[in-house]
Amino acid sequence: MQDSDKALRDQVRQGWIGIGDAEPSFETTWQAAQQRHAAGRRRYRRFAGAAAVVAAVVIAVYAQPPAGESYIEVADLLESTYWTAPSDALLPNRQFDIYQDMPVIFESTESAGGALL
Amino acid sequence: MRDSDALDNNPHISRSALEAIHSQVYGWALSRCDFDHATAEDLMQQAYVELLSGNARFDNKSTLRTFVFSVVQNLARSRFRRVSSRLRLVKKYHREAIVQSVETTEPPADDGVWRAVRALPARQRDIIELVFCRELTIEQASAVMGVTTGTGRVHYDRAKKALRKRLQDWAEEE
Repeated sequence: MQDSDKALRDQVRQGWIGIGDAEPSFETTWQAAQQRHAAGRRRYRRFAGAAAVVAAVVIAVYAQPPAGESYIEVADLLESTYWTAPSDALLPNRQFDIYQDMPVIFESTESAGGALL
Repeated sequence: MRDSDALDNNPHISRSALEAIHSQVYGWALSRCDFDHATAEDLMQQAYVELLSGNARFDNKSTLRTFVFSVVQNLARSRFRRVSSRLRLVKKYHREAIVQSVETTEPPADDGVWRAVRALPARQRDIIELVFCRELTIEQASAVMGVTTGTGRVHYDRAKKALRKRLQDWAEEE
């Protein structure tokens, strides 16, 4: 810093003398800041707790399966004594009974040219 | 730095280091608040809260003093924006309700140098205060003000010239 700058700086500094006399001590300011910080954290925790409770309630209410839309009713299944395979529904009902309506196979005992007809 | 008094959320800052610069930071906060002590103290507390919570995180890229000055500057700016927007609303709807009730402890208005400093544009006033009264380098002061070092130098040179001229003019008038 040049001499002229130094003189100017000293002049300006003189104008500031006395301003900082009412300065609060570091201890006071620091403690107040710590209290504000702790209060802020408490507020945040309270807010986070309330948000968690609200989220849990929303999940509990909306995450349950809606009644009456179940594919398998467990109670009915346990009470029943009759069971059919689901694929039974695909079978034609007495239109083609493979056990009774056996196709007639043509049989011959006569030969023609050494071979059975 | 003693490990024992390092801040939990800001491990590069110690309580004792903050205590060492408290007075200078308070002076800076005071000038950010038009020399209202209550507002300056509130601003200081808010700055310390930012450091305690780790919202303002010091990573040793600058000096601690520059960093804390920047925190105070940013908080003061955001507070000023908030207050001025509220004031605009108040002025709009309750023009008669505005009462000037803040008592300040500014340096006396008859102090020639101080009058000259006050007459400077805001940026020039800031850099003069930071360099002359808070003993920051121009680089550090520019960082606090959020301008490049080149811009800071320009403000500094212009401020010195303007100050000298005003002081000379007033001396001639007397």
